[in-house]
Amino acid sequence: MNLRVPKTESIRGRLRPRSRWSSLRTWALPASRLAFLAALGPGLVSGFADNDAGGITTYSVVGAQFGYGLMWALLASMIALAITQETGARLALATGKGLADLIRERFGVRWVAFAVLTMLLANLGTTVAEFAGIAAALSLFHVPVIVSALVSAAGMMFLLGRGRFGRIQYAFLAGGVAVSIAYAVSAVLAKPDWGQATLFTVVPHISLDQVYILAVVGTVGTTITPWGQAFIQSFCVDKGLRADDLTATRLDVTAGSFITNVVAGFIVVACAATLWAHGQTSISDAGQAAVALEPFAGKSAELLFAGGLLAASLLGLGTVPLTSTYFATEAFGWERGLGWRIRQAPAFYGMLAFFIGFAALFVMIPGLPLVQVIFLSQVFNGLLIPVILVFVMLMATDRRMLGSLASGRILAALGWTVTVLVTVLSIALVVSQLIGK
Amino acid sequence: MIFLSDFLRAEIVDNRQRRVGRVGDLVIKIIEPFPVVSHVILRGRGKQAFPWSHVRSFEAKELALKVPREELRPEPADEDAIWLARDVLDKQIVDTDGRRVVRVNDLQLSPVSGQLLLVGVDIGGRGILRRFGLEDLGKSLAHAARRDWAQKLIAWDVVDPVASDLDAVKLRISHQKLAKMHPADIAEVVDRLSHRQRDAVFAALSDEVGADVLEEMDPEDQVDVLEALGDERAADLLEEMDPDEAADLLADLPEDRAEALLQKMQEADAEEVEELLHYEEDTAGGLMTTEYVAVSSDLTAAETINKLRELEPDAESVYYVYVVDRNENLLGVLSLRDLIVAQPETPITDIMTRKVVSVPLDASSAEVAEVMRKYNLLAVPVTDVDGHLEGIITVDDVMETVLSGGGRRRLRIFG
Repeated sequence: MNLRVPKTESIRGRLRPRSRWSSLRTWALPASRLAFLAALGPGLVSGFADNDAGGITTYSVVGAQFGYGLMWALLASMIALAITQETGARLALATGKGLADLIRERFGVRWVAFAVLTMLLANLGTTVAEFAGIAAALSLFHVPVIVSALVSAAGMMFLLGRGRFGRIQYAFLAGGVAVSIAYAVSAVLAKPDWGQATLFTVVPHISLDQVYILAVVGTVGTTITPWGQAFIQSFCVDKGLRADDLTATRLDVTAGSFITNVVAGFIVVACAATLWAHGQTSISDAGQAAVALEPFAGKSAELLFAGGLLAASLLGLGTVPLTSTYFATEAFGWERGLGWRIRQAPAFYGMLAFFIGFAALFVMIPGLPLVQVIFLSQVFNGLLIPVILVFVMLMATDRRMLGSLASGRILAALGWTVTVLVTVLSIALVVSQLIGK
Repeated sequence: MIFLSDFLRAEIVDNRQRRVGRVGDLVIKIIEPFPVVSHVILRGRGKQAFPWSHVRSFEAKELALKVPREELRPEPADEDAIWLARDVLDKQIVDTDGRRVVRVNDLQLSPVSGQLLLVGVDIGGRGILRRFGLEDLGKSLAHAARRDWAQKLIAWDVVDPVASDLDAVKLRISHQKLAKMHPADIAEVVDRLSHRQRDAVFAALSDEVGADVLEEMDPEDQVDVLEALGDERAADLLEEMDPDEAADLLADLPEDRAEALLQKMQEADAEEVEELLHYEEDTAGGLMTTEYVAVSSDLTAAETINKLRELEPDAESVYYVYVVDRNENLLGVLSLRDLIVAQPETPITDIMTRKVVSVPLDASSAEVAEVMRKYNLLAVPVTDVDGHLEGIITVDDVMETVLSGGGRRRLRIFG
């Protein structure tokens, strides 16, 4: 339409070369300097986020209590996590929908209500654990629980409400990663019995002891979580991943599961070589847990532990309530997402506020044994995860829904094995608690 | 009011009150504006169905037949038809009136002269409670709280069903109602859909509407949509897009795909786009479009208006007419108003504004916005160092860059 004759040259200039991983390119662009972390895939992020207050505390408790005795459970959890995360990712890649969406569409409103109830209960426990983690970390600096809970609750509501959480979460993630590395170094410096550690990793040790079962359920429950299952799916959907991203995503979730549990292994080894080896088999406060970092950090161990626990807890404190409210609002088709104003999405914001408010109030109960509470919340997660896994596995083989991304025989068999095992574990726990003592 | 949830599991009896079975699902036939229930599927029994014409009445949760059960002779249900409970209930639909994506909590049916019509969708909390058999409890609670508890129903004729994972069912959805919405609204709705649903919607939209919708979407989503389309169709959409938008989109695609698409595009469109690809994204060159109206300085007002009629420019490029000499040097600018109020035979050089505000190719988007704000312009010409007119930037393009991030953020769980 213009009068000018266009000049034609090459079309380079703004065209940039891009590899097969191009679809993984758009993975978030935070304004912070930690932008490189945004290149992490859903599997790696949920892997790192998995080692939150519940993770760090549970592995510490287990390492102190049983030494290397539960290392096999970490290896088993690693394999199980890779299986369940891949299955969840497949659901997301095939359908582009979240877990609650799919349960609603496939099983109807009654079953999704049941799934939502399970998810909310488990996640409420985890949110309490995140507050307890913050309180435990700050208790090292003599900050009263009431203050730490109120400040972090108000701060988190502000961050979420103003849509600022997206910017800061990578800083928290980095904090979690830093403390993971510190544990690894500490574990090596503590001169652990590597022979024993390896032996216990590959040879499972089964005991029907009540306390032992509790610890196994806690270890599995802090790794394979209801929120993790919802999170991986939502994350894959947000990233716009599709069927042709399957190979990259498999690699990503496998790497994520591997790293989560390797870090867990280092925490257990560090605690075993320091606390357990010196007869300190129970952890009742953060100060004791911090001892495991002394080989690396010496006198600064407490500071390092507190910083890492705080960062990991804050990351969880933003992520877990958000995942929960997404899940519930998705199930019932209510408006959701931090882009809405409060009046536009009252159910979403109401639930978010309830989650954070309830959990903050809960940890303010005077004399609450924080470490115990965190540990038990993870056991609680372990008790409830079978429910979510059954839904996931039932959908995973549905060819009509997933097409070529439906789990093949091997993955389906592995998935059901995991589901049956965690179910047996949950039942064993309940039974042992009922008949115990 | 009767709902699908009343039918599901309702007892079926024959003309002598003998039990036949229970309702498993209802099959509809798509008829505008309201679909008609064509078959009843029996619960269990390998999905056997019988036609709705055998039904005499539905009262008190009991479906009474006209015929004795021996004469019913159910046949296997048509798997490719639309089954209400399987394919519509609990799925997502687009409310084209409210311009949003909602979930089907229940379906409202209405008996009209022996037929059962699908008339509405229940998207409210009452629908959810009804499915649990708790609607009456909810009503009494609302009554006790002296609150009016209205049904949230939307009429089926403004509904566009988007969510079925069955290909056969998908084909029966024309997305006609969706396509009638404003492109900006379609873009927002599509943003709420899964990639599968989005692909299905784009497959159904015309090139023109599809291009308009694409222009309204986030760059990331544009790439997603185009990557899923075949080269032919993607090129068709790019041709329909404004060249500046098309260039932005192509720049975000992998290089080999972008070149392939440019090859497929019509030469004229491709050339305009290629030229724009030279400029950095956030500069005047990257923002501008090459669709503008420029005329030579020897025309009169009437001739210029005739020229406009001939060119039929897009809405956004018609605010100003630029006057250039033989070498494309920008001499002046005319607003539509200038042209219309002038005597027809006036030479345009007499009425044009000679001091044209323009921006250089490398001006930043913030500078461009500032110039447009200061001089109250709807469009600003972009010139190279020698004063040649290269393109124009319209106000909508600047708004997008200045306000980006200010709009509604996407649902994101992380990052």
